[in-house]
Amino acid sequence: MNATPSSGEGFTRRGFLGTAAAAAALPLLAACTTGASPSTSSGSGGPGDPVKFWDMQWGTTSYIAEGKALVAKYAPKAGLASPSYQSIAWTNFYQTFASAIASKTGPAVSSGSGYQAFQFAGQGAIAAADDVVSGLKKDGEFEDFLPGTFDFLNTKNGYVGVPWQLDMRVLTYRKPLLEKAGVGVPTDWDSLLTAGKALKKIGVVGFGTGAGAGSLLAGQTILGLMINNGGGWFDPDGKPDCVTERNIETLQFLQELSRNGIMDPAAISYTGANLNDDWLSGKIGMGFNNVPSVGTALGGTDILVASPLKGPHGDMGALYYVNNLMMYTNTPSQESSNAFLRWYLDNMKDYWQKGVISAIPVRKSIAQLPEFQKDANSVKAVAEWQPISKTFASLGTKGNAALNAIEGGTAFTTFSQQVVQGQSDPKTILETLQKGLQAAVIGT
Amino acid sequence: MTSRPPTSEADSVTTSVPGRDRSPVRARPASGGGATLITFVGPSILLLLLLNAYPIVYAVIQSLHHGTLLTTGPFVGLANFANAFSDPLFWGSLKFTLIFTIAGVFGSWVIGLALALLMRRKVPAVGVFKVLLLLPWVVPVVVSATSWNWLVATSSSPIPVLAHALGFGTVLFLANPALAAVTVCLFKVWISFPFMMLMASAALSSVDPTIYEAARMDGASAVQQFLYITSPLTARSTYISWVLMTIFCVNDFPTVYLLTGGGPLDATTTLVVLAYRVVFQNFQTGYGVAIALLITIVLVAVAVALFRQIRKSVQ
Repeated sequence: MNATPSSGEGFTRRGFLGTAAAAAALPLLAACTTGASPSTSSGSGGPGDPVKFWDMQWGTTSYIAEGKALVAKYAPKAGLASPSYQSIAWTNFYQTFASAIASKTGPAVSSGSGYQAFQFAGQGAIAAADDVVSGLKKDGEFEDFLPGTFDFLNTKNGYVGVPWQLDMRVLTYRKPLLEKAGVGVPTDWDSLLTAGKALKKIGVVGFGTGAGAGSLLAGQTILGLMINNGGGWFDPDGKPDCVTERNIETLQFLQELSRNGIMDPAAISYTGANLNDDWLSGKIGMGFNNVPSVGTALGGTDILVASPLKGPHGDMGALYYVNNLMMYTNTPSQESSNAFLRWYLDNMKDYWQKGVISAIPVRKSIAQLPEFQKDANSVKAVAEWQPISKTFASLGTKGNAALNAIEGGTAFTTFSQQVVQGQSDPKTILETLQKGLQAAVIGT
Repeated sequence: MTSRPPTSEADSVTTSVPGRDRSPVRARPASGGGATLITFVGPSILLLLLLNAYPIVYAVIQSLHHGTLLTTGPFVGLANFANAFSDPLFWGSLKFTLIFTIAGVFGSWVIGLALALLMRRKVPAVGVFKVLLLLPWVVPVVVSATSWNWLVATSSSPIPVLAHALGFGTVLFLANPALAAVTVCLFKVWISFPFMMLMASAALSSVDPTIYEAARMDGASAVQQFLYITSPLTARSTYISWVLMTIFCVNDFPTVYLLTGGGPLDATTTLVVLAYRVVFQNFQTGYGVAIALLITIVLVAVAVALFRQIRKSVQ
């Protein structure tokens, strides 16, 4: 009998350490390797290569099909390159772009996250869109873009991209629940508090938000309210400056919401899915969110967009994101990239006409399309919220690479959760955030 | 007896010739041996170097620079490691990593061993039970995490509703930092115990039943049988399962990230989650990789200590 068969055999210290080291190397690999670029990628940038257009998945599979069809319509002038279309998933998208750009297999033109162009511009990978912007101005089309949308993208080295759609954070509510609670739609902070208390009495959350795994909504909502109160996280020159009286006042207001049970204490761990479930089940009566337009998770319901709130000092303001199209230095010809991008801006209305996208268009002519006008929530967002909206860079007006590291970074997450928890001193929370902002600015 | 001349190649390499005492190994034909060795072993070594050594060396280089995902960046020496040691979040993450690992290893081991012992008895439909018990290990973590989130995340989730009905008030399992830490550890134990059960079952099956019979005849109680027969005779397997589970726990990213994202208020941030967040959310590649290297060093140290324990148990 042998209870420990072949003891020690085939189990050497070297072999064991090798196994252990290999296993231990996993986090290293996870941390230092970048995601694979799409399989269709190949070296580009040479004459005869296509203008590779990488497009994020801004909608369902219908969007991807429409994107392919749209790009296929483009017929370049003689001597210019034709485009190719590649849809990119949001999962690990930044690694996808970073690895492809580093290996010179990336796109010539792409959509992407709001700050992506700034970050890659800092690495010298972005081609300025100044010629495209000049062309729009020359042809009288520049004025067709909603006001202020180009400012964010204009850096000292030129335009890092051109705007094509907006992502807005607006106050939304369920009318039947407000009626049941016996209150009207809030118009300012006081009435928001009053409505929240009334909703609380009928067992409904009056300020729905989420700061859990992967959810940025709480932080965006807090910043939106700060902007609504004339605040922001940066000074007009773009330097971190969040420990201000207006911001402290905003956090005190949020603490009041928390103390009164208007904000769900579980919101600190809420994911986007948790939040949507609560909205759809009628547990939430009010809250800041993206525009519940047709095609979104909350679209097609009785959730409506309210008019913008007036801050306690009479300020108006909200947070929005200027999603942009960018060009890269790795291109078969810059002229081809410019021509394609310009054509795309002039023809992207197809997405809204065919109803495959739920984002807010940046061109007035698209917002006036009959197909778009059918969506009351989106129309209200464009008419009332866009004119008062500011970017994440507020009080500054121009974007920068640090924003990418700030939004979704560790400082942002901790800040959001501390505010939602409602137990820490507002000034201390902001001082911690200030350090995080400064570290991000230095780091990038 | 006289020596005879070699009659075959085999003889030529094994026969000892007076005055020319050569060992059999040294007598093997040398011509082409090295080349053959390199031809067969070279590709494997090259592959290992590419897959293991290159990433580690490159990671070390990155940890000494202040880089981004696109560029290595300027050389900063050991500043990234110094940053780690002065960062409260690093120490907090290290602390939770230890708690998570200890809970994960020993929690899953206790349950796994108990179930393995139970499965040795004659239980009706034991095969069905075994399959059911393996499910937590087999089901993808993303599915398990979504299920657990559904069970505990909101105040209207089933378990908080049950807790409320039992008079515990509104229990927010993922919103309270301490409860979230406990929940994440329980989740880890839940998805890991089947592995421990399999390891324990395999070890137990190698123990000769006659030993137990002899022990019972000598009047040994069940506890004594476990302490003096089961435990020592399965010790080596137990240590190996501990080592493996330690590696699994320290390197576990999805369990934590999918359930809590490391929150609330960083209460469930492990070192691996921190490294990910630093690299892919803060875009501080050098600092993130430095944290990952520190994880490696800690893991190897723990593994060596446990390996020594295994050797002792074998001896």
